[in-house]
Amino acid sequence: MAMTRNNLRLSIGVAVAVLALITQLSTGAFAQELFAEAAILAVFALSLDLLARSGLVSFGHAGFLGLGAYTFGGLAVLQNWPPSLAMAAALAGGIVSGLIIGCFAVRTSGAFFIMVTLAVAEMFFSWVFRSPLFNGADGMGGVPRLDMRAMGLDLNNPKNFATFCILICICVWIFAEYIIVTPFGRTLDAIRQNANRVSAVGGRVFSYRLAAFALSGAIGALSGALKAQHTNFLSPDLATWVVSGDVLIAVVIGGMGTFVGGIIGSGLLVYLKEILSSNFGHWYLFLGGIFIGVALILPRGIVGSLLDWLDRRNARNNPAPAREEEA
Amino acid sequence: MSTLLTQTLCKSFGSLAVTQEVTLTFESGKRYAIIGPNGAGKTTFFNLLAGNLKPDTGHILLDGRDITSLDVTSRARIGIARSFQRNNLFAEMTVHDNITMACAIQDNVAPVFWRPMSGFAAVHDKAVGIARQVGLEDDRHTAVRHLSYGSQRQLEVALALACKPKVLLLDEPTSGMSPQETARMDHLIKALPRELTVIVIEHDMDIVLEFADQIVVLDYGRVLVQGTPAEIKNSAIVRQRYLGEEGVAVGSHSAQRPSP
Ligand SMILES: Nc1ncnc2c1ncn2[C@@H]1O[C@H](COP(=O)(O)OP(=O)(O)OP(=O)(O)O)[C@@H](O)[C@H]1O
Ligand SMILES: [Mg+2]
Repeated sequence: MAMTRNNLRLSIGVAVAVLALITQLSTGAFAQELFAEAAILAVFALSLDLLARSGLVSFGHAGFLGLGAYTFGGLAVLQNWPPSLAMAAALAGGIVSGLIIGCFAVRTSGAFFIMVTLAVAEMFFSWVFRSPLFNGADGMGGVPRLDMRAMGLDLNNPKNFATFCILICICVWIFAEYIIVTPFGRTLDAIRQNANRVSAVGGRVFSYRLAAFALSGAIGALSGALKAQHTNFLSPDLATWVVSGDVLIAVVIGGMGTFVGGIIGSGLLVYLKEILSSNFGHWYLFLGGIFIGVALILPRGIVGSLLDWLDRRNARNNPAPAREEEA
Repeated sequence: MSTLLTQTLCKSFGSLAVTQEVTLTFESGKRYAIIGPNGAGKTTFFNLLAGNLKPDTGHILLDGRDITSLDVTSRARIGIARSFQRNNLFAEMTVHDNITMACAIQDNVAPVFWRPMSGFAAVHDKAVGIARQVGLEDDRHTAVRHLSYGSQRQLEVALALACKPKVLLLDEPTSGMSPQETARMDHLIKALPRELTVIVIEHDMDIVLEFADQIVVLDYGRVLVQGTPAEIKNSAIVRQRYLGEEGVAVGSHSAQRPSP
């Protein structure tokens, strides 16, 4: 029985999850901070990649991250909401803003979609940058973490927080993998492959993309709420286009549309940033060079290229027309 | 039982009038063929019927209801299904997944996000039936890109059939097919349920004459003639132009073109 694309993808995902959980437990506090950071970026990457399944690539996803962070931080710090409620509010904020922005954004696609999402994220950035409510450009400290002491877990401990973030990432990953085998997820795939034909057989492309955008917004906001908890700080920088660019790089390097690729890409990005920035002055230059190299060698990203290789191998071993499964 | 009507339908691309005052009635349950030379506006007419294009003027009515303002999706939902002249498939999916997708959308299963697709046995069964109907049962698990061109044409028709059509529009279903594949498609079209209104654009005159109750000849966007196969065969102008009669200069084509 030949390994299928899906099985390989899922196996890699499980391996990464287990590896992350085990390694994280046996490292020091500093590395655990990196694990938490990577897991949060991975959640953000999943949000972008889920939307990409419908054929839409956003370049303003930092808007959702920023919105989630500010909704969580704002309510928890300024309104003294319990962090759990504030987190639910952040998720709801992601859905609602996704629906509102999506109403005009998902009518476009390609370069126009990139422009619209970028513009909206920049609007959010300039608002929080000036808003006295959140201390404008200076940002706002004192953002609490979720209180899970009732469950015997103090999230202010780096190890616990890293575990918590990795577990959330695993949950989001399972959720994403589940979504894509449902009729809704299959329809997103169909829309990516041929939106015109979906319309021609009676599918309302706009509605599906809007739903994907709102879902993606919720997950993006979740990553923002985690980010604010991780740094205990709200900064307008959370919503800059650099953040949108970083997550896009993580997804592309890992393999767009593969989910686990974006997770690996996130880990790689956080790790490389760390070792490069502590050793070189112009570290972004090196980072850029590395990513251009990867993109040239593996045009479909790390996991994407691996899956393509599997396809070719299966086709060689099995001369009959290859059985197909979705990426 | 569905009657499709067009009233003085007009469509121009810039200064090129591609559909000119086309008024036609497609009665329910009848078979129609649309013929005409390349560039006559046949596909454009289908694009107008299916809602891919909006007419400049004129109306389209289905069972007395004006559907001119409905978009592609809405028309597909009220039973106007089409296949495309150029294969227009879900390229990364298998044959079965292609058809299942169309069935899931038609059966309003597609929005379900809480249950895996594999759990919808009725949709899968329907897809299997359609694959069998178009002769793709052995290729169900083949990816579209591994299909022969002819099989892709069959899948093209399968996606239209999956839409539970009342009016079925087939744009050159046999183009690029081998003789065997053509024969099978011919058979498939003839075997379509009688309550379906079928409109086929087709260049193969053997198929057209045998299959159609009514033939519409389009020329430069206008209806040149319409009638039964016998009437069309005996029509002088059609004989001259399309049935290869001798003694007609190609130039007469443009000579008869109405000046803009
Ligand atoms: N979207 C468009 N924009 C501009 N011109 C178009 C467009 N679509 C079609 N045309 C032109 O309209 C004319 C009719 O095209 P159409 O595709 O309807 O012809 P057809 O009868 O289907 O021809 P064929 O037998 O080659 O398929 C052609 O001259 C074509 O170039
Ligand atoms: Mg045509």
